[in-house]
Amino acid sequence: MNEPILECIDVSYAYLDKFPALERVSMQVHAGEKLALLGANGSGKSTLLKVLDGLVFPQSGSFTAFGEPVTEESLEDEQMSQGFRSRVGFVFQNSDAQVFSPSVREEIAFGPLQMGMGRDETLTRIDEVLAMLDIAELADRAPFQLSGGQKKRVAIASVLVMNPEVLLFDEPTAALDPRTQEWLTGLIEDLSAAGKTIVHATHDLDVLDRIADRCLVFSEDHRIVAEGTPADIMGQRDLLLDVNLIHHHSRPFGTATTDPVTTA
Amino acid sequence: MTTLDTPRPPADEAPAPIAGKTPAWLLQGEMAMCPCGCIGKRKKGSFVEKTLDGSAGLLRQVMFGEDIAERPGLLQRIDPRAKLLSLIILLIAAAVVRNIVVLLVAYAFTLVVAYFSAVPVGFFIKRVWLFVPIFTGIVVLPATLSFITPGEIVIPLWTWQGQPVGITSQGLTAAGLIVSRVALSISLVVLLTLTTPWVELLAALRSLGVPKMFVLIVGMAYRYIFLLLGSVTDMYESRRARTVGAVKHDKAAREFVSSTAGALLGKSHALSEEVHQAMIARGFRGDVKALKTFAFTRADAFYMLVVVIAAAVIVLGDQQLGR
Repeated sequence: MNEPILECIDVSYAYLDKFPALERVSMQVHAGEKLALLGANGSGKSTLLKVLDGLVFPQSGSFTAFGEPVTEESLEDEQMSQGFRSRVGFVFQNSDAQVFSPSVREEIAFGPLQMGMGRDETLTRIDEVLAMLDIAELADRAPFQLSGGQKKRVAIASVLVMNPEVLLFDEPTAALDPRTQEWLTGLIEDLSAAGKTIVHATHDLDVLDRIADRCLVFSEDHRIVAEGTPADIMGQRDLLLDVNLIHHHSRPFGTATTDPVTTA
Repeated sequence: MTTLDTPRPPADEAPAPIAGKTPAWLLQGEMAMCPCGCIGKRKKGSFVEKTLDGSAGLLRQVMFGEDIAERPGLLQRIDPRAKLLSLIILLIAAAVVRNIVVLLVAYAFTLVVAYFSAVPVGFFIKRVWLFVPIFTGIVVLPATLSFITPGEIVIPLWTWQGQPVGITSQGLTAAGLIVSRVALSISLVVLLTLTTPWVELLAALRSLGVPKMFVLIVGMAYRYIFLLLGSVTDMYESRRARTVGAVKHDKAAREFVSSTAGALLGKSHALSEEVHQAMIARGFRGDVKALKTFAFTRADAFYMLVVVIAAAVIVLGDQQLGR
């Protein structure tokens, strides 16, 4: 396999130094792959994504991106910071936190302008990304006039417009209606086909085989306990039960219900 | 398909309680508190309810306002910077005027401009007159009395130590002057805000030299007010959904307000942290770069000229007419 572009070695992180979120986590992300981080609520997936985006810094262990160590100090360097931020994009779970500008157009312009892209090119890119995500008519709306699904699209547009190599998604399909979920799954497939590296945290196992080639499984004590292809992981029912990704009452995968609830 | 007339399973066939922990009362129906229907004493909503209704109304108004700013109209065509500058010039002119007739004529002009800017005139008048001049009126009311502004008493009220006390004509003039000046100033501001999309107003502030960071903070505050208003409404509605029977709107309501305020503070703190991370993730390093640039056209220059002339006419007319 090719050299990893992102690598965590023995990373530990605790909120306020007493609520552990990651315990000695080591993992790698390779160029062009689709990596899923699986785990129950509170298992550390989101924190790991924030480490991978250089938003929180491990209290022990190391994180390197594109061969360079990423620390609070190294990101102080303008060139390093700009390079890293333009190569790694993060779609937050909470679109309300991500969509902070007064209008959709300004929101999408925020990243490219911060990166020093020219105004004309930014405007062209905004129009193109709006058209690609089918939200051109929202361009001049204010965020409070958008539905949850529309906000998610705007959040994705605001990251895609910067054309990052690596896209981090935190629970991308959570709280979206089935049509938007399907749209997003398709988008992730398309982005992957276009050569983007995708890392996403999820506990939605239904579409795993479409949006991941490799999975890392988090236990509830914030460690990575398994790694494998979606088929490998889905085959280990005991593991999935143990890490609280499925329940005894969950149906086995691939036996989705065609059995109608009928009464005589 | 399940049909409505499907017989329910008898109670002894009810599914086993979840992990045996479901209390028995949860498996039975509860007698409604008001089996006879909902006829009874009705109470008007509490101050909490009114405040929340007010917040929902604010949201509707803002949305309506943005709608007006998108319509084709006179002021909508003008560059926001020109509008902002002319607002400042006209506000200064209004502040130095000491003749009530001049103020009223200028006010009448704002109505005409509102009409040609696709602002519904009734809505515009209501928006200006409903609140602030009323409060101004309350503040200036004492100034109409003879022991504050001595002069010719036109409405005697009572006598105090043998002296008649009442409303003086000088007092009325002074009060009328303040109220009409405030009304004119507010009309000018409302005209600007109604005919300019919020985004452009912020951009205009920025291009006129207001610090970018200040404009960013104002913009974000405005954006998140709606989110927090939504949270408050949700919290109140969830409380109302669990409230059975009449509620006294005193201590309980105050407690609700204080606990909501606390919860909201926690929520907004967590949100602010996440927003900051979202900004950093897209390259924010403490300096904001704005998208919008404006082109100053001939129409804008003409508009500015008209405004300067209008301001001069107001001030000179006032000097000619005197008090």
